[in-house]
Amino acid sequence: MTHTGLATDRLSLAYGDRIVIRDLTLQVPERRVTSILGPNGCGKSTLLKALARLIVPTGGEVKLSGQALGAIDTRVLARQLAILPQSPRAPDGITVADLVRRGRTPWRGFLAPWSEDDGRICAQALEQVGLQEMVDRPIDELSGGQRQRAWIALVLAQDTPYLLLDEPTTWLDLAHQLEVLSLLRQRNRDHGTTVVAVLHDLNLAARFSDHLILLGADGLVASGAPDEVVTEDRLRQAFGLEALVVSDPVTGRPLVVPR
Amino acid sequence: MKSSSLVLPLLLLGAVLLSLMIGQVVLSPLQLWTGLWSGTGPGALTLRVLRGPATFTAAGAGAVLGAAGTIFQILLRNPLAAPDVMGFMSGAGLAVVAGVAFGISLPLPLLSAAGGLTAAVAVALLSVRRGPVMQSSLTLILVGIGVSFLASAASSFLITRMPPQEAADAQRWLVGSLAARSWQHAAQVWGLGALMLLVLALQVRALKVLELGDELAAGLGLRPGRARNGLIGTGVLLAAAGVAVAGPVPFVAMMAGPLGMRIAKVTAPGARLCAAAMTGAVVTILADVVARSIVPGVQLPVGVMTGIMGAPYLLWLLSKEAEAGEL
Repeated sequence: MTHTGLATDRLSLAYGDRIVIRDLTLQVPERRVTSILGPNGCGKSTLLKALARLIVPTGGEVKLSGQALGAIDTRVLARQLAILPQSPRAPDGITVADLVRRGRTPWRGFLAPWSEDDGRICAQALEQVGLQEMVDRPIDELSGGQRQRAWIALVLAQDTPYLLLDEPTTWLDLAHQLEVLSLLRQRNRDHGTTVVAVLHDLNLAARFSDHLILLGADGLVASGAPDEVVTEDRLRQAFGLEALVVSDPVTGRPLVVPR
Repeated sequence: MKSSSLVLPLLLLGAVLLSLMIGQVVLSPLQLWTGLWSGTGPGALTLRVLRGPATFTAAGAGAVLGAAGTIFQILLRNPLAAPDVMGFMSGAGLAVVAGVAFGISLPLPLLSAAGGLTAAVAVALLSVRRGPVMQSSLTLILVGIGVSFLASAASSFLITRMPPQEAADAQRWLVGSLAARSWQHAAQVWGLGALMLLVLALQVRALKVLELGDELAAGLGLRPGRARNGLIGTGVLLAAAGVAVAGPVPFVAMMAGPLGMRIAKVTAPGARLCAAAMTGAVVTILADVVARSIVPGVQLPVGVMTGIMGAPYLLWLLSKEAEAGEL
């Protein structure tokens, strides 16, 4: 095992009484975009939550820079790693600016006032998601795509080297899915942020990720570069799907065409 | 500063003035002013003995109840979640009645705090479900309504065993009453209220993160369980401070938050809490003014008036929630 970055060591996870992940050991590549893929109920979201310490493993552990996640101080961890859960619900009437400002929470002292740095980082986050013109708008008045970008701005404002997202593209149309994923990729390229996202769409995942983690009903099927992971054999193994994998004419990445 | 943020302070000032002026004898502001500075005449008597203490007790009790209600409404994301609906105030009332019935000579705030906290723990324990399913806020509210009925019934039972005069007083107090309040009551609720509001002020930042949901809150470095328990404790103690001086006045805690939020046009938790405290004070003072002047020569308990105001609001809220599919 290396001692850098985010990794799992013989990790076992249960959801209630049902064990969904057993003895999983893997390394999330540093400063890359990683997607977690797999059929419904395979434990994708559960794995992501464990990586962010939102659930406690039943066995093994998650490590960040060689240190067990459970041993890291809550606030210290929140400065290292941000997580955006699936379909978060905004408080009634909250504005974009107010939402994004709350991303600064782990960086602010108990009674410390709002600092210039806080303001600058929030402004930068809003600009990266392209909402700088909408700061005073209530979240409920935004379109689905804009709303999702506002939530992403919140975790960008948290300013962490690790960014975890649970199905950030759910409920969005294709254009907005592309927009959100390009934005995450841009963040990775500009800041070296390690991005880990649970995604549903194999083709989008293959297109935007440097690394894929493919889970099946019985745990890890494959992990590696998109063209190593997205193969006809492995899709059959993970999804029970008969598909043709061709080369995406636009990006050269693997493209799944179900038979 | 937006003009909408001035509405509530002005309303509060107006309500206080109205409450000091109106009663069996109507006084002019000039008479009150003279009484305040000279210490003699009808103005002075009204200010110092008759209406002053009741008005300031009403303001303090309304403020703590309003803030308490808003804490639960934000935490549970449901306008129905308030200490009056969820049994914390009935629990506090029961503890006070039991204290009187069994001759326990503890200070009322202590008794009501113990009763309120016990009710809160009971609601939490009774709502626990097995398995990974998170308890919904609706479950908590429904269990709370049950606990509320239970506590009220127990209070009524204890009252039947008291001597007639004591029973009548206790019955009146249980409706929510500001009759015969002294400056001691006012000082008590303002003192305890100020202390708890200070504690609450330190918890507002946690509340702002907590209202984004537990997972985001945890990701932002908060321990959601611990923060929530702290806020619940503050909310219950605030409500208990109100109950100790005014009895379990219904609906103020539930109405003040949503009403204040609309009047002041605010959405952030800190501003909502301030608006709710001021609105709670206004509502309680005005309800008391109406309660003591609507039937000449009779002072109705303030709780009767807040009940009359609150019941239609509750019905409207329920129909709205049912339409939105939240019930």
